Amino acid sequence: MQPQQQLTEEQQKQLEEKIKNMSPEELQEFQKQQCIFCQIIAGKIPSKKVYEDETCITILDVNPAAKGHVLVIPKEHYAIMPQIPDTEIGHLFRIAQKMSQVILKSLQSGGTSIFVANGLAAGQRVQHFMIHIIPRKDGDQVLDLKDKVIDKELVHKVQSAVENKLNEHLGVKKEVVDVEKHKLEPVKKSSQKKKSQSEEKDTPEKDLLDTEEDEIEEAEEAEGDTSEEPKEKYGDVGLDDIANLFK
Amino acid sequence: MKKNLLYEDDNIVVVVRDIAVTPGQISVIPKQHFTILEQVPTEILTKCAIVANKVSMSVFESLGSHGTNIIVKNGTGAGQTIPHFSLDIIPRQENDGINTQWKSKQLMEDEMDMAFSTLKDAVDMPIITVKKLPDEGPKKIKDGEWGENYMLKSLRRLP
Repeated sequence: MQPQQQLTEEQQKQLEEKIKNMSPEELQEFQKQQCIFCQIIAGKIPSKKVYEDETCITILDVNPAAKGHVLVIPKEHYAIMPQIPDTEIGHLFRIAQKMSQVILKSLQSGGTSIFVANGLAAGQRVQHFMIHIIPRKDGDQVLDLKDKVIDKELVHKVQSAVENKLNEHLGVKKEVVDVEKHKLEPVKKSSQKKKSQSEEKDTPEKDLLDTEEDEIEEAEEAEGDTSEEPKEKYGDVGLDDIANLFK
Repeated sequence: MKKNLLYEDDNIVVVVRDIAVTPGQISVIPKQHFTILEQVPTEILTKCAIVANKVSMSVFESLGSHGTNIIVKNGTGAGQTIPHFSLDIIPRQENDGINTQWKSKQLMEDEMDMAFSTLKDAVDMPIITVKKLPDEGPKKIKDGEWGENYMLKSLRRLP
């Protein structure tokens, strides 16, 4: 699906030059105007719309990987995921979950792939963020990604490179997440609880997550949502349990 | 004991995978056991998604990736091999040989119509509204200290 008509080499060059010199704001505005999905959302281009609310729509992909392939698309124009506010990310994935459930039940598929591409290198084909939900079955050769064993040293390198940035983004202070300690001592539940409580206090990010959860809960109660989501509190699962799954 | 831990709290862990599509693949995993996506309660899923986005941002910034994929393999039909739900972030480089394109399926118009009506009938859920926090709007893209930041770069690089 290419919104661009064929350009001559000359025009292409001019366009590239123009894009290169744009300020971030101009660039975003320019992309918004060009965006085919913004036009779909505005109703200027017809689509097969399965669901719609204030924040997003769900439509059938016109170039589907399988029958029933749908897209969850935010109404606001975001080119890539890092631009999207947290509440909206949560909402979009929540709708994706519901759509996956609908696909599993009504199309009797053997599974679904939830897929997001950020950036051209990741296979992003249009400049509007979206979540793909693709009905899957064995041997369909869609997203056939092979796992391989990664060199231990490489894994550690990644870990130390990403850790600080992630802590920054999550608003976690370095001393709170001490990976080495976790490795050496068996995790005691009480101390872990205390740690995470203190963590909550000094991380604004945490507060944000909590408020949002409350709001979603409220909204759910108001709507009388009767989905089969388990209602019990989430008991702690031992780290061993999780580790065992990865053997 | 869980190795390669990046982050942990009461509900979730974030780990670097040692069996992965590509080096640097990171999983966000709820602590409580859920086999498939459909079983994950809204609060936990929301949190996983938000953290996954932050992992993706961290990957852009610290590994110099050109892109990221966020993937859930949901169900054995989708190639899920570990019976515990996880949200995976895969760092991408240009020409890294990972194929995330698919051949689009040529469907007849009536097949599309049928899929459409089946799904539309099955979506019997109330319209969900979210209250945005007052200070939440689209995140501003600024030039970083080192010149163009990754967001701007990816904007210019988009299709």
